[in-house]
Amino acid sequence: MRIRRFTPIQKTFHLLLIITFMTQAVTGMARMYESTLFGKALGAPFGGYVNCLAIHKVVGVAMLLLFVCHIIYAVILVLAGKVQSHDSLLPKLRDIKEFFGHLRWMMGGKLPRFERWAYWEKFDYWAVFWGMVLLGRTGLLLFDPVQTARYMDGSELNIALWMHRLEAGLAMGYIFLVHFSVIVLRKHSFPMDQAMWGKDADYKTVKLERPEWIERLENTGKLDGLIVKDSSPVLTTFSYLIGLGGVILGVYLVIGGLMNAHLIPW
Amino acid sequence: MQRKLILYALLLMGIFLAAPSWAQEEVTSGSYRYKDRESSTGEYDKYEVRPGRGTPFLQWNTIPKDVIGYSQGNVNVNRPGNISFKADAHAGIANYRFKRCGDCHVEEAKNNRHVTRADIACRQCHGGEPISGINYYYSQLNPIRRHAYVCAKCHQGASASFARYLVHEPNPFVKATLTDFPKFYYSAWAMLLLVIVTLGFFLSHTGIWVIRDLFTRKPERGVDDED
Repeated sequence: MRIRRFTPIQKTFHLLLIITFMTQAVTGMARMYESTLFGKALGAPFGGYVNCLAIHKVVGVAMLLLFVCHIIYAVILVLAGKVQSHDSLLPKLRDIKEFFGHLRWMMGGKLPRFERWAYWEKFDYWAVFWGMVLLGRTGLLLFDPVQTARYMDGSELNIALWMHRLEAGLAMGYIFLVHFSVIVLRKHSFPMDQAMWGKDADYKTVKLERPEWIERLENTGKLDGLIVKDSSPVLTTFSYLIGLGGVILGVYLVIGGLMNAHLIPW
Repeated sequence: MQRKLILYALLLMGIFLAAPSWAQEEVTSGSYRYKDRESSTGEYDKYEVRPGRGTPFLQWNTIPKDVIGYSQGNVNVNRPGNISFKADAHAGIANYRFKRCGDCHVEEAKNNRHVTRADIACRQCHGGEPISGINYYYSQLNPIRRHAYVCAKCHQGASASFARYLVHEPNPFVKATLTDFPKFYYSAWAMLLLVIVTLGFFLSHTGIWVIRDLFTRKPERGVDDED
């Protein structure tokens, strides 16, 4: 038995974000590590150092457009009154309590009773949000340096490039190490959390981790609408391919990036 | 009647056909364009750098007062003896002709992506022998003409502001940058701290979590998959 946590639109957004983020990560790393064999290998499928930048720019703009679409989508959802207080991703006091409760549980205490979104999921969301703003802003500044220099001092581009790099490093480090560990390595979700695609989230796991959400759904009578049957093995395989493919690529980028960091001229 | 109409239409079209030639009219200016005179000082009007793209609200290509900043030599110190003002910056160096730029300018050969990434040679920007100091009045790298003589060779439309990008980028994390380019220093350190704190916290958080999860009971799956 499965329970649906994400709507098809949200899943599509997530899939598009994965594709664009991975493209940006690979083309960006290919530029950064251009002087090493690792970087050359990364850039080769995209046509090398120069083409990587062209692709990086196009996909970056596509990402920003997606971001705008997402904001419009979120605003429409909120205006239509479809987001109840507990379904909202806005941080609340309860998240802080749950965070400390979760820390206590790690030291042997009792597991907090999470609602639909736990604090780390809210952080995931707002981390991407903030990353989009910072990476998108510096990326737009670097998109056409000659034009940018008309409106601000050229030396600001030095700053913009380093901000872009550091924030990209943070984004990749967070996604490839933290986010992937949570959805793949944890015993409860191993080999991969299915909440996004394919089979949706496992009902028993959700009931164990998020009893407050399930109780709320039961009380409001919405639970039955969210219960789904298992999907076809084809879709499951497909979701594993995308998800674990991304994980392998991400881990490869992290390991390659760390191993070659001393070889590149910054 | 029809022939007359066609004639008038053609005449009318003729007026508008002239439009492209209006656009070819020389821009009126108090000074000559640099291409007209070989011995130009290299000081250009706005339109020569980027024709017709200025805005009345923003004077974008003036050289700010503090333009002589990082990597231009400290102009306030020993100006008569300052190498960056010399016509031949390497005059008097022993065995100069047998040396390569990188032999002495070790840091400068590494700290710029024009060399390390784009295969640009030193002389493509600094000019041929005798290589003058970048603050020498007639140097092509003098900030008054750098954007047009050097940057615009590749970056079409480069403005004086664009030329203020630090090609020899200082390491943002060293203390010398704090005095030369404090904004760069502070923003890079702030960002680096954010990266370290965020990753450091969440990596340890997730690490402990993954280990703690090993000691929990995983709910059985697949038992009631049929319903």
